[in-house]
Amino acid sequence: MKALLNLFEKLRPGFEKGGKFTAFRPVFDAAEHVFFAPSTRTKQLPHIRDPLDIKRFMSMVILALLPVLLAAAHFFGLRVLLIIAVSYAAGGAAEVLFAIIRKEPINEGFLVTGLIFPLILPPTVPLWMVAAGIVFGVVVGKELFGGTGRNLFNPALVGRCFLSLSYPATMSAVWLKPGAGFLGRIFQYVNASDLQAITSATPLVLAKQGQLANLSDLFFGSIAGCAGETSALAILLGGLFLLISRVANWRTVVSILGSFTILAAVLHYTRPVTFGPVIWHLFAGGLFFGAFYMATDPVTSPTTNGGKWAYGLLIGTATVLIRNLTGYVEGVTFAILLGNICAPVIDEVVYRFRLRRLRDER
Amino acid sequence: MKFRGGYNIALKGRPNSEVKTLPEPDALYLPLQTSRFSFSEVCVEDGQQVSLGEVLAKDPNNHSVPLLAPRAGLVRLKTAENHIVLEDIAEAPKHLHDVEQTAPHIAQQMGSGGILRYKLLTLGAWQFFYDAHSGSLPDPFKVPQAIIVSTISCEPFMARGDVQIRRDLQAFGRGLEGLQSLLEYEPIYLIVPDIASDFARRLRQNVRGYAWIKIVEVPLTYPNDNFTILARNLGLKPDNGPVWALRAEGVLAVDRALTESKPCTERIISIGGPAVKTAEHVETLCGYPLSQITHSYVHKDDVRVINGGVFTGRVIGPDQLGLDSECMGLTILPEATKREFLSFARAGWQKRSYSSLCYLSALRGTLEEAPTTAVQGEVRACVSCNYCEEVCPAGIMPHLIHKFLYKDDLDEAERARVDLCVGCGLCSFVCPSKIELAAQFADAQARILREHHSEGVTQ
Repeated sequence: MKALLNLFEKLRPGFEKGGKFTAFRPVFDAAEHVFFAPSTRTKQLPHIRDPLDIKRFMSMVILALLPVLLAAAHFFGLRVLLIIAVSYAAGGAAEVLFAIIRKEPINEGFLVTGLIFPLILPPTVPLWMVAAGIVFGVVVGKELFGGTGRNLFNPALVGRCFLSLSYPATMSAVWLKPGAGFLGRIFQYVNASDLQAITSATPLVLAKQGQLANLSDLFFGSIAGCAGETSALAILLGGLFLLISRVANWRTVVSILGSFTILAAVLHYTRPVTFGPVIWHLFAGGLFFGAFYMATDPVTSPTTNGGKWAYGLLIGTATVLIRNLTGYVEGVTFAILLGNICAPVIDEVVYRFRLRRLRDER
Repeated sequence: MKFRGGYNIALKGRPNSEVKTLPEPDALYLPLQTSRFSFSEVCVEDGQQVSLGEVLAKDPNNHSVPLLAPRAGLVRLKTAENHIVLEDIAEAPKHLHDVEQTAPHIAQQMGSGGILRYKLLTLGAWQFFYDAHSGSLPDPFKVPQAIIVSTISCEPFMARGDVQIRRDLQAFGRGLEGLQSLLEYEPIYLIVPDIASDFARRLRQNVRGYAWIKIVEVPLTYPNDNFTILARNLGLKPDNGPVWALRAEGVLAVDRALTESKPCTERIISIGGPAVKTAEHVETLCGYPLSQITHSYVHKDDVRVINGGVFTGRVIGPDQLGLDSECMGLTILPEATKREFLSFARAGWQKRSYSSLCYLSALRGTLEEAPTTAVQGEVRACVSCNYCEEVCPAGIMPHLIHKFLYKDDLDEAERARVDLCVGCGLCSFVCPSKIELAAQFADAQARILREHHSEGVTQ
């Protein structure tokens, strides 16, 4: 530990002003601060600060993603890990490049984006597509807006949206059948070439053909779909942890799931033949993953608590409508992106009300 | 009464409820500059012998509030810059201050109420009064719309009202009567904690007969003891006249000045913080040498000595030699020196966070955290986590105001009511992006005031 700290001290002059690698200062700082928290002292009031910082904030999200990650590796094999590696490498390169160009610190938010993105892709997606998607997501979805904290859209969703519009066949036609049994595919590496034998359709696609998947399969995740979205159990485990630790706001989740349930129930009980049952709809597809991990992203959701209710309502409703009344079988991606667009407007409305009430306060 | 926001932190180094007396010092170093006052009008000469309670200096901008000699002694003006030093001090014959005799014209001019006010001012009790809305020294010769007496203190490491009163509950009662004699029909709000303690019961018993006292129970959450917050929640608008506010200590000072006609130069302050050997309350004098206190209380090398609590206190620099006349407590924090290895991945048994479950200490029930002056993270852009809004006791939206100030839009910040900020510092405390919200707001408030001022001048 001490040796490592000394090494950083020794290397520092090279990265400081006038050094050989001044341009790479953000990289050096990021590496140093990953290992050793800076010992900055407070200069302004108050004299003490809460220990929570953005690094911890983001590592809580990554921690909460672990159950989902394990479930993905279990059902779809080791290739998921390779996809994650590619996503981190390509997205990280884009992030670092922008940090160097803008001379700003490297943002920790990327570590979450880089992990969430592979989990919302089909497990058989070609690796070059992963790289293209994450780079698009990071650059267009985040960096062009000014980096973490200033982005309008969830970068992972922007990347996914880009891929599913550009390569609809790969993104929605070929699905790997999940591994069965105790071990699943945990020790398997399923290549794109031996796909033909083991492809299946997602529950939402099957439903359009009149087949409803087994509920327990939906709950545990033994169904075809995007790598991280299939296991409702794993998502609930990690998601509840996020809610309790207050990194994600419960209002968003409750509002999405609540409005989704109500609208889906209304549709189902008016025409049970056309529209699937509520519980089935809740567990099928990416709703849970979207509600717990993607819509709760504090940056792209409304800031105010009142706004979060409206935001959730919008996403839940839009998801039901897209799934049931349009040509698409899945609607979470578009619904959340729609929510992201509306978030600033929702906030603006809430601000108006709040400020009007504050106006006469003395 | 409904309170918004607020947050309590359990920190190591809380002063216990015993009151000790500090040993008699050799010399007193009275600072001429305190947080509210600047005693620029010096009334004594170098080498002059003064008696206890004599006026050493006055603040001409604050109703000539006096700096009184806490002991008899020899005045030295040049020993230390910005200080009046008293040497050869002794508890010389008590000098009785009979206002009716020394200033008969005041009695004629202002009647009995005027004499009381004059007594409070000249005997040093007036500096325990605050204007609840602005925090400044109120005008003693006006009649307030109400008086707020707070017996609670929620800021970590500050002198507790119950400790100060416990010594003499009767004096507290007499002080309340003294306050009432300054008023006509205006109410006195007595702020007591909403807990069932023995002290609270006795306090209530003691003031039961006073119909003009309205007891208000307040939850012990920081910053519910803030005078501005209390005045706002009691519905006391600044348009209806000034609101006077004082703490338990102020009531005791009122009693001392009015009943005993003695100068108020002694205070019970707290000495607390994680870098203190035994945190306790001490009875001490204004001007008590700081080096003597730090020598006997501090057990670490690199420390920050704070005049006040960890949230709103000011750092005491090396050029201040003695306790100032407004000091309510000293907080001694260790400076941050350690660079934590892989801190974002640590379990965090020793860290308590507003976002509770982010550290395993959440499983530990009552953990008293030992804070340092560390920022504990790097500055990042706001991620809109909304924590600042949740803790804000003033009900404003710190994240929104921050975004307005970030683009330097002072008008919008004013419309978002940055002026309602009471400077409690909770938003800066909880911010995971380590943005200096409270400091930005204080700066914005000052700029807005300046702008309004200059507008007034040009018109």
